[in-house]
Amino acid sequence: MSSRFASAVGVAVASFALSCFVVVPAMAQSDVVRIGIVSPNTGAAARYGAFAWRGAQLARDEINASGGINGKKIELFQGDSQCIPTEGVSSVQRMIAQDKVRVVIGDVCSSVTIAMQPVVENAGILLVNAASSNPDITYKAGVGGYKWSFRNYPTDENRASVVLKYATEQKKIKKFAVLSVDSDYGRGAIVLTKKYLGEFGAEIVSEDYYKDKEADFRPVLANIRRSGAGAIIMYGLADTTPIIARQMVEAGLAGKVILIGSAEFNNPEAIKIAPTALNGAVEAAAYVPEWDTPKNHEFVATYRKAYAGETPNVHAYAYWETMRLVAAAAKEAKSDNQDDIRKTLSTMSYEGVMGKVTFDDHNQANLPMILFEIIDGKPVIKGTFNTQIKYSTR
Amino acid sequence: MTELLIEQIINGIVAGSVYALVAPGMTMIFGVLRAINFAHGEYYMLGTFSAWYVITKLDVSYPVAIFLAVIITMGIAAVIGRLVMQGLVTAPFQSGVLATLGLSLILQNLIIITFGGTYKIFPGGWLEPVFFGEISLAWQRIIIVLVTIGVFVALEFLVRRTRMGKAMRAVSQNTACCLVNGINIERVVLGTFVLGGGLAALSGVLTGPINVTVYGGMGEAITLKTFAVIVMGGMGNVRGTLIAGWVLGIAESFVAGFIGLQYRDAVGFVILIGMLMVRPTGFFSVQSRF
Repeated sequence: MSSRFASAVGVAVASFALSCFVVVPAMAQSDVVRIGIVSPNTGAAARYGAFAWRGAQLARDEINASGGINGKKIELFQGDSQCIPTEGVSSVQRMIAQDKVRVVIGDVCSSVTIAMQPVVENAGILLVNAASSNPDITYKAGVGGYKWSFRNYPTDENRASVVLKYATEQKKIKKFAVLSVDSDYGRGAIVLTKKYLGEFGAEIVSEDYYKDKEADFRPVLANIRRSGAGAIIMYGLADTTPIIARQMVEAGLAGKVILIGSAEFNNPEAIKIAPTALNGAVEAAAYVPEWDTPKNHEFVATYRKAYAGETPNVHAYAYWETMRLVAAAAKEAKSDNQDDIRKTLSTMSYEGVMGKVTFDDHNQANLPMILFEIIDGKPVIKGTFNTQIKYSTR
Repeated sequence: MTELLIEQIINGIVAGSVYALVAPGMTMIFGVLRAINFAHGEYYMLGTFSAWYVITKLDVSYPVAIFLAVIITMGIAAVIGRLVMQGLVTAPFQSGVLATLGLSLILQNLIIITFGGTYKIFPGGWLEPVFFGEISLAWQRIIIVLVTIGVFVALEFLVRRTRMGKAMRAVSQNTACCLVNGINIERVVLGTFVLGGGLAALSGVLTGPINVTVYGGMGEAITLKTFAVIVMGGMGNVRGTLIAGWVLGIAESFVAGFIGLQYRDAVGFVILIGMLMVRPTGFFSVQSRF
C-alpha cells in the first residue's frame, strides 16, 4: 500500500515538474522568434564561424530594429560545431530540446550539415543551410527525401568544372596536384573535378588530403615540386591556407605552382604573409566583398560600421543573407511557425545581394558563383557562373 | 629519387625535433610521478600563445619573445605544479589521469575564452630559406634541430651530474628510499614539472613561425604524438626520447610523402600499438633509463 502511495506521489511530482518545464518555455516562446545558429567557433574552421556569427548578429539587429518578424523580436542561440559532425549534432539537439528553437541556420562544414539533416528531420525543425557546398546535401532534400532541409548556398557541382576549365584554358595548365581537406567537402569537390579531367585534357599527378589540424605540409610540397604539376587543386579551410602558402614560399613553390579551387585565397592575412604563393590563385566562391552592386556596397558598409571596419567574408555574408531570407519568408507567411516558413520558402522569390533567390524541388537555392583570380594581392573578378544542376544527369 | 629521400629525412628530423623537445617533460614526469601528463601539450600551446601575445600586443622582438614565453609558461607550470601535480605524489594512478585530462580542458578553454577560438597568425621567426642544391629550408628549421641537440646535451648533464638530476633519478627509482635519505619528493616533482613545461614551451615558440598559426586546441595533437614518442623511447628514459622523436618524425614524413598526407596522423598510433605489443619497454633496455 505504502509503496503504491509512494509511486503515486512520485508520478504526481514528476508530472508537476514536467509541466513546469513545458509551460515556462512555451510562455517565453510566444513573444520572440527563436533561431539557432550553428557554426564552427573553435577548431580549424573557427575563422568561418566567427564571421558567420557576426553576420547573423548583424541581421538580427537590423531585423529587430525594423520591427522584427511580424512584431516579434528575434532571439539567437549559438551552437559550436567545431567542424565535427558529432559536435554539430549535439548542439542542434540541445537547441531543439532546451532552447526551443524552430529554425536552425548552419553549418559551414558539409560533414556537419549532412549529420544534422536527419536530426532536424525527426524533430520537424527547419534547417536552412547557409554555407555548405557538398552536392549531397540537397540531392537528399526536397523530393530527394529530407523535407526540412533547405540550402541557400551554391553547390560544388559546377564549381569544380568551372575552376578546372579556367586553369586549363586561361592558365594553360594540364598537370595538377590535389591537396584538399579530408572531409565531405574537400573529397567531394575532387570527385567532381575528376569527372571533368578528360573534357579539359587535364591530369592529376598526385593526390593528398590533409586533416583539419595539419600544420606540416613540407613532405607533400616536396613531392609536388618534383611532380611537374602547374597548380594545386585545393578545396580546403581558410585557416590552413596561410600555413600552406607560407610553406610553399619556403619550399620554393611560390610563383611556380598556383593554387586553384576554394580555400579563401582572398583572405588578406594570408596574402600578407605569403604574397608570392597566392599571386595567381584562382577561386570560385559564393561571394566576395568586392562584388560591385549597390546592394552589396550597402551591406559591406553596414557590416564595417558594426564591426570596427572589418570587411565581411563569404560566411558573414551567407549567414546575414540567410537570416534575412528566413525573416522574409516568415513575414510573407505571416507566421513564425516553422511549417509555414518551410512552405513559403519553397514557393517564394527573394531579392538578395547576389540576385533573385528561388528554391528548386530539392530545396536548393538557385545562386550564382563568382570566379576570381588574385592579382597583385587583390581579388579580380573574372566572371560569374550558374550553379543550377540537372538532378537527372547524376 | 635519392634527393627526395634526403629531403624527406630532413623534413622528418625537423618534425621529430619538435616532438623530441616536448617529450622529455612528459617522460620525466612519468619517471617521478608514475603519471601520464595528458595536459603536457598544453604547455606547448601556452608557450606559443605567450610568444604570440608579447610579440603582437607588447611589440617585443622574436628572440626576446622566446625567452619570455618560456619564463611565462614555467611560471604557469609552477602554479599548477604546486596546486595539482604535487598532490599527485601520494594519489593513486587514476587521479593523475583525471587531474591532467581536466587541466588540459581547463587550459585550452581558458585560452579560447580569453583570446577567442579563431586561428591567429604567428609573427616573427627566421624564415629566409637556405639552399642545399634543390632543397630549401628556412633558418628556423635548422635552429630547431640545433636547439634540440643542445637541449638534450644539457639534459644529459643535468640528469647525470647535478644534485637535482640525481634526486630526480632517485625519486623515479624508489620513493621510500628517498624519504629515508631526506630527498624532498614534492620539490623534485615540482622542479621536474616546471622544467618539462619550459621545454614544451620552447618547442612551441620555436615551431610557431613554421606552423604559422596559433590556436587554443593546438596542444592536443602534440600530447598524443608525444605519448607515442615516450613509449618508443621507454617510459622515463630521457635520451631515448630524442631518437624516438626523430624516428616518429621520419616515419611520418615518409608516410606523408610516399603514401599520402591523410595517413600521417595514423603513424604515431600504429607505432604506439606495435610497441606496446612487441616491445613495451621501448627501443632501449630498461637499464638505460635515467
